[in-house]
Amino acid sequence: MGERTEIPPGTLYMLVLKTLARLGPMHGFGIAQYIQQISEDVLRVEEGSLYPALQRMLIKGWVVTEWKQSANNRRARYYSLTPKGKKQLAAEIEEFEKVMGAIRRVIQPA
Amino acid sequence: MEFFRRLLFYFRRRQFEVELDEEMQHHRSMSGAAQFGNITLWKEDSRAMWTWTFWEQLTQDLRYAFRTMVNNKTFTALAALSLALGIGANAAIFSFMDAILLRSLPVKDPESLVMLNWHIKGAPFPKDWTKGSATVVHAMSGSIYEDPKSGSTAGILPFPAFEVFQKNDASFSSVFAFRKAGRLNLTLKGQADIVSGEYVSGDYFRGLGIVPAAGRLLTPDDDRARAQAVAVVSFSFSQARFGGAANAAGQSIRVNDVSFTVVGVAAPEFFGADPGEAPDVYLPLHANLLLEAYPSGGPAAMYRDEHYYWLLVMARLRPGISRAQAQTALAGPFQQWAQSTATTDHERADLPTLTIKEGAGGLDILRRQYSKPLYLLMTLVGFILAIACSNIANLLLARATARRREMAVRLSIGAGRLRVIRQLLTESVLLALLGGLLGLAVAYWSIRFLTLILNNDHLHPVLDWRVTGMAAALSILTGVLFGLAPAVQSTRVDVMPALKEIKAGHPHARIRVSLSNVLMASQIVLSLLMLVAAGLFARTLFNLQSVELGFNRENLLLFQLNARQAGHGDSDIAAFYTNLQKRFSTIPGVRSVSLSYESLLAAGTGTPINVPGAPPDPVTRLLYVGPGFFTTLQIPMLLGREIEDRDQPGSPEVAVVSEQFAKKNFGDENPLGRRLTMGGRDPRDMEIVGVAKEARYGGLKHEVPPVVYIPYIQGSQKRVGGMRYEMRTSDDPLAYVNAVREIVRREDALVPVDDVKTQTHQVGEIMSQEIAFAKLCTAFAVLALTIACVGLYGAMSYNVSRRTGEIGIRVALGAQRTRVVGMVMRDVAMLTLVGLAIGLPVAFSASRLVQSFLFQMKSNDPMTVLAAVAAVSLSTSLAGFAPARRAARIDPMVALRHE
Repeated sequence: MGERTEIPPGTLYMLVLKTLARLGPMHGFGIAQYIQQISEDVLRVEEGSLYPALQRMLIKGWVVTEWKQSANNRRARYYSLTPKGKKQLAAEIEEFEKVMGAIRRVIQPA
Repeated sequence: MEFFRRLLFYFRRRQFEVELDEEMQHHRSMSGAAQFGNITLWKEDSRAMWTWTFWEQLTQDLRYAFRTMVNNKTFTALAALSLALGIGANAAIFSFMDAILLRSLPVKDPESLVMLNWHIKGAPFPKDWTKGSATVVHAMSGSIYEDPKSGSTAGILPFPAFEVFQKNDASFSSVFAFRKAGRLNLTLKGQADIVSGEYVSGDYFRGLGIVPAAGRLLTPDDDRARAQAVAVVSFSFSQARFGGAANAAGQSIRVNDVSFTVVGVAAPEFFGADPGEAPDVYLPLHANLLLEAYPSGGPAAMYRDEHYYWLLVMARLRPGISRAQAQTALAGPFQQWAQSTATTDHERADLPTLTIKEGAGGLDILRRQYSKPLYLLMTLVGFILAIACSNIANLLLARATARRREMAVRLSIGAGRLRVIRQLLTESVLLALLGGLLGLAVAYWSIRFLTLILNNDHLHPVLDWRVTGMAAALSILTGVLFGLAPAVQSTRVDVMPALKEIKAGHPHARIRVSLSNVLMASQIVLSLLMLVAAGLFARTLFNLQSVELGFNRENLLLFQLNARQAGHGDSDIAAFYTNLQKRFSTIPGVRSVSLSYESLLAAGTGTPINVPGAPPDPVTRLLYVGPGFFTTLQIPMLLGREIEDRDQPGSPEVAVVSEQFAKKNFGDENPLGRRLTMGGRDPRDMEIVGVAKEARYGGLKHEVPPVVYIPYIQGSQKRVGGMRYEMRTSDDPLAYVNAVREIVRREDALVPVDDVKTQTHQVGEIMSQEIAFAKLCTAFAVLALTIACVGLYGAMSYNVSRRTGEIGIRVALGAQRTRVVGMVMRDVAMLTLVGLAIGLPVAFSASRLVQSFLFQMKSNDPMTVLAAVAAVSLSTSLAGFAPARRAARIDPMVALRHE
């Protein structure tokens, strides 16, 4: 196994929410796969953090679940975004942009 | 919403688990099993999202901890008990500290109260009066605290100084003065009682912010010369004597034979401004004009006298004014006033300067008396707690080692290290809390025991929330601090070797500098320190008890009568006392009776007495006595005769002097027939008719002064007030108290018999602090040593059981049983030696700190130290011997199969 890039702290929720916003309902493995692919293997989502995070989002009411048949013909739990989740995503992105912009200004060559 | 979702989780828990499992299966099938990590952990983490994790895990941990505790009853009992004793002793002493040193007066906004004190650089009074006064303080009534280094401090002021503060009222919203009125005869509906009284200035109650429980309190209008005689009584007194506060207001009472009207009752919780007192009755300051007889110029003179220091003054700061601001504002006016009272350069050289002290705690008499002993006791119980804590740490450490396998299993199946530490901490904190709870019970009983020992009615230590809080904080702190090290250590296991570990010993489990050994050695050090302290105090007590009194303390009854307060005047007071003396002596079983101003041990009157031609010696002390005094006390006369019935007002004035006085003033010459002159308020010209053997005067610790005994019946009768009777009986003196009361009642029912005690009891009272110290320290030291030995026993037993295999092999190879015993005992001896080696120098240097508590001995008393060393060695040997014997009994076959 090569070097893994840790997902920046606090951004996992945003990544998952965004993924669900793009893909529509999706199961956990699909979400992890998608993030890894889109980020060209830079970001890897550990199961150990993904599933607890999904549970957390369930509690918060940002996502809801539904059991559906998955591609390999097995039952899988599909997560989909709620209106509250959409609002949260917007808020998280805005916050992220703000922080990124700030960081960029700091590290920009003078 | 979120709450309901979480709540729903609890109902659908099974389904949740199933779904989680399925989801995991799915993930695994999609990705390939090899990549999947710690499944248990992520399931746990996912579950944790839903639950109120903290509480969930806490319940789990608690349940587990309870089980562990029940499974290890001996361990639990030992640990909880030693902690209970440690915490209990601390809580008890702390509640006393709280009651005496920390608690504020139960008045409105105590923080804004201040005490007005003054300070001078030297001593207030000169060693030699012939050279004139040393300072502007010419006379005083109250306490001045002299310190050879920093000078003298006092809170008593002349009345004119009090007026200076009343005039400069920019800083204070109220200034008030008070002073003890002492024991008063209070007669209510024909029944007389001796009560304690307090004179208070008009603004006293308003200044302190006291509300009446009934009627009204005293005001400035009550506190004027020739104002109507009114009084306020305490709540408890109103209940005891009037049957309730409401009944008291408006009642008429007689105080020292003067009629007063009770105008009100103070608030129930109020006990005056001195935590060491609890007055029954409050009188206006100026009421002393009615009650007290003063020589030269009458009592009114004391209000004008600028050199007589007698009033305690407190004030309340105005809102927004700090103590420092008030100090700055008033230092000048006080300075000017003091300057104006100085008449000589001598007096001007060391004028009193104002120091404003905080007054929230009221008068500091009690604090001054008890703060040093309390800090000492607090240190000692602190030691006990330290020993108890290190004991627990040791037991936990031993147990943690025993549980290495359990920990290894937990860690290897995926428990997070923090989670395991947390569980171990839960166990130790639970244990500590159990100890703390038991400790509160111990504290409850200790407080009762201590109150008994300290023998002071005015202390009200209670187990309030502060003490309870302190005990709880101590328990939790102990649990965390002393549970943490073992927890961290036992979770640091390298999983594989620990799992494989066989129970046979480590062959090198020899004495080494391990945490456990350090803890045990320090317990021995602390035990030694406490034993030395106990020994020192026990010997001090012994020394005090063997002080030569110079009179026979057995079968002697002491009691006080005050006929003056019941209305007997100069003309008949002596006759009254003489008559009673005769009547008491007719009680069957009474050998002889006499009387004196004060009992010898409580006496302390000085007055200028001199041999004509020589200056008066300021150390000379005086005692007014009745006829038969020396016979009754059984003080042998060395020369001449004692004071007898024939010494009457008209007959020649006589005196008996002590051996020391005779030697000091007359050397080897015969003092009989020589003359003595007494000055002051009761001038006399006396002939020495006898020399008495040395007897203790004014306490036990001080040097005996030269004493002159003179008949009270001769000379001015103005100063004859209360009298202390001494009654020599043939058996238990207390059996005669009823007869005495009956005789007094028949002579004058308004004269109460007060302060009845035996001479032995009085000696005990004087030594009460030493007695308390000796008892407490012995108890503490025994406790400390016991706890330390329990710890040592536990650790040694654990060592032996860990080395069962090794010892079995040794025995199988032919080691003698005695050698095995020796092997274990050597460890004990090493620990003890190390403990003593560290402890002895510490004991020698630390015991110097208690020198001021000792009597007739040095702090490095070799006998005491030797006894302490012997006690420590013996106890540790005993503690080690049981495990050693168990080691010697190990059957090699059993031991080898043990694996």
